[in-house]
Amino acid sequence: MARKDFLDIVSLDREEIIQLLDQAEPFKDLFTRSVKKVPALKGKTVLMLFYEPSTRTLSSFEVAAKRLSADVTTFDVPSSSVTKGESVRDTIDTLQAMRADYIVVRHGLSGQPAAIARQTGASVINAGDGAHAHPTQALLDAFTLREKFPEMEGKRVLITGDILHSRVARSTSTILRKLGVKVAFLGPGSLVPKTASPEIPRFTNYDQAIREFGPDAVYLLRIQKERMAAPFFPSDREYHNLYGITDERLRQLAGQGTYIMHPGPINRGVELCDAVLDYDRCLISQQVENGIAARMSVLYGLKPQTS
Amino acid sequence: MNLFLKGGEVASENTAPARADVWIENGRIKAVGADLAEPEGARVVDVSGKIVMPGMFDAHVHFREPGGEHKETILDGSEAAINGGITGVVMMPNTSPSIDSATVVKRVLDAAKECRIPVLTSGCITVGRKGHEMAGIDGMKKAGVLMLTDDGDAVPDAALLKRAMEYGSEFGMFFASHCEEPQLAGPRALNEGAVSYRLGIEGTPALAEEISMSRDLALAHATGATLHIQHVSTAIGMEQIKWWRDERGAKVSGEVSPHHLMFTDEDIGDYDTHYKMNPPLRTAEANVALLEGLKNGAFRIIATDHAPHTEFEKSRAFEDAPNGISGLDTALVSLFDRFIDKGEFGWDLIVKRYSAEPRRMMELEVAEVAEGKIVDLIVFDPNGETTFTKEFMKSKSSNTPFLNKTLKGSVEMVVLGDEVLLER
Ligand SMILES: [Zn+2]
Repeated sequence: MARKDFLDIVSLDREEIIQLLDQAEPFKDLFTRSVKKVPALKGKTVLMLFYEPSTRTLSSFEVAAKRLSADVTTFDVPSSSVTKGESVRDTIDTLQAMRADYIVVRHGLSGQPAAIARQTGASVINAGDGAHAHPTQALLDAFTLREKFPEMEGKRVLITGDILHSRVARSTSTILRKLGVKVAFLGPGSLVPKTASPEIPRFTNYDQAIREFGPDAVYLLRIQKERMAAPFFPSDREYHNLYGITDERLRQLAGQGTYIMHPGPINRGVELCDAVLDYDRCLISQQVENGIAARMSVLYGLKPQTS
Repeated sequence: MNLFLKGGEVASENTAPARADVWIENGRIKAVGADLAEPEGARVVDVSGKIVMPGMFDAHVHFREPGGEHKETILDGSEAAINGGITGVVMMPNTSPSIDSATVVKRVLDAAKECRIPVLTSGCITVGRKGHEMAGIDGMKKAGVLMLTDDGDAVPDAALLKRAMEYGSEFGMFFASHCEEPQLAGPRALNEGAVSYRLGIEGTPALAEEISMSRDLALAHATGATLHIQHVSTAIGMEQIKWWRDERGAKVSGEVSPHHLMFTDEDIGDYDTHYKMNPPLRTAEANVALLEGLKNGAFRIIATDHAPHTEFEKSRAFEDAPNGISGLDTALVSLFDRFIDKGEFGWDLIVKRYSAEPRRMMELEVAEVAEGKIVDLIVFDPNGETTFTKEFMKSKSSNTPFLNKTLKGSVEMVVLGDEVLLER
């Protein structure tokens, strides 16, 4: 039974996730051909509604929609309503007139894509809302990891950084755990909440996490510039020394064959040193490429209730 | 008026309901007793199987006049109270302008004159609730204010609050505190815990209330001021009040609101703003602890924190929607449905904590269904039910978790003085 919306990972079951991953594979194969398009969404309109700027995610969705032959419109959200105040109802009134079949929403406030979804027949895809969820990122992460580990059950992923404010940490940890992957969190005590999940081991010391958890992949979260200013930790330099992938730590990870992932955009010298980008088990560019295939799979799998 | 309530169960703060007829004549209770003879010329109302008890009194309501009349006016709010079996209320001063001077107090009490029940008001501790300068305490006292509070916020400056307590106590005023350490409270949307993590919204930890309360209780003890702690949502907060009161003899008390006894942050579900209030809903363990505190006397009173907001305002994103729920229409019925009907506590507790004690706190005469008393009573049908539709609710706003829900129990009659205010 096809869903109307794609809002979070929590509400998906394992079978749906596997189907979305399987479905993404032929789309990825398409990228190596001369004609990278399929006519699946021909005649359909995909509306991009980004209340929070994000060139990367926006472009990824645009490419995905175009490769499915959809018409793509990017709705210019007036900056006044970005900040505060515009109610969901106001937004919906505007959107109804545009008659989109799919609406891709990114919003700074948690829960807004779901609120929009309840009030429109169009399929709503959450492209990131507040600190709540980023389900297409989670899907592309799972896809990327599955390429390296076809049997994902029992593999170990250490998610590192600002767990507290990260929607990626929430969604990616959820999808991986649904696929049988063991997840642990690592970061400064002030950024790894004790309330996150009783089933996810919590580390605040890098060496201890590597030693005790033994990750197959380390997933680095972006440290937001605004968090560096707020006193969650003393400085980005100290963060790099304690939790970042330094040259020395990279050598150690390379010795153990550990993969490195990051949702982008990266902060060089904070989450990782430059050498990580040349590391043969760094999956960052695969993540970007797989993002298009994963998003095509999501768009392809949804059933809008528009006539 | 000559009214004879026949066959009801009369409840008081000290005794379980007992069968008694009640004869009312010219605004006073002429007689109360089992099997009274029906007086001649009296209108006889059969209330058998129903509870006859004093009208409730709510010492924490936000009527939005002046400044927020689109949410609630003083008149609408007072009608919501009557609808819920409440025959007296105390307004909070966080209106616009704030009730922080004799002038605004007089304006509010003037508007309250058209209400069919007494509407009292508290006054601000600081000018404009801004926490910088003391409000005009002498003037407000003369205009009829007894309770001083900056409700909505804590007074951020401890030294200023200390001086206000030293100064204001001399006028016989008492203080009421909304306890919340502002830096810890953050954006004030919901409790910090597993739910705030799941929903991806910064939570307000219980600690924000506990720390602020500890400060205010110590200040009251040190200055000798009388202090009432508003809408306690944490077990540790509640225990602190009890400790200062019982172990140190401080003149302190606390209130609990129905929603903090009944709901948890889990009820927010998928960002339902009808469960968004401040202090926020906490956990099931907090529900249990607060209920225990209500039973064992840790809390002096029950109060709703009636906080109306329009449907439009509540339809905003969870983080942007205003805090608070409408409570006067629903409080008594919901307390019956959730607790009395389930045997958690008896009618005597409700009468004590939601009628007698709040009136004592406000230095008013306690309402009683007893011979010679001025009539201030309600009739409650435990076998009835109430569906809280928008049409049923008299509050101008219907921001309640009970909207369109049916609960056990029904307020059947409200009689005050020589007037029947409500009869269903
Ligand atoms: Zn308050």
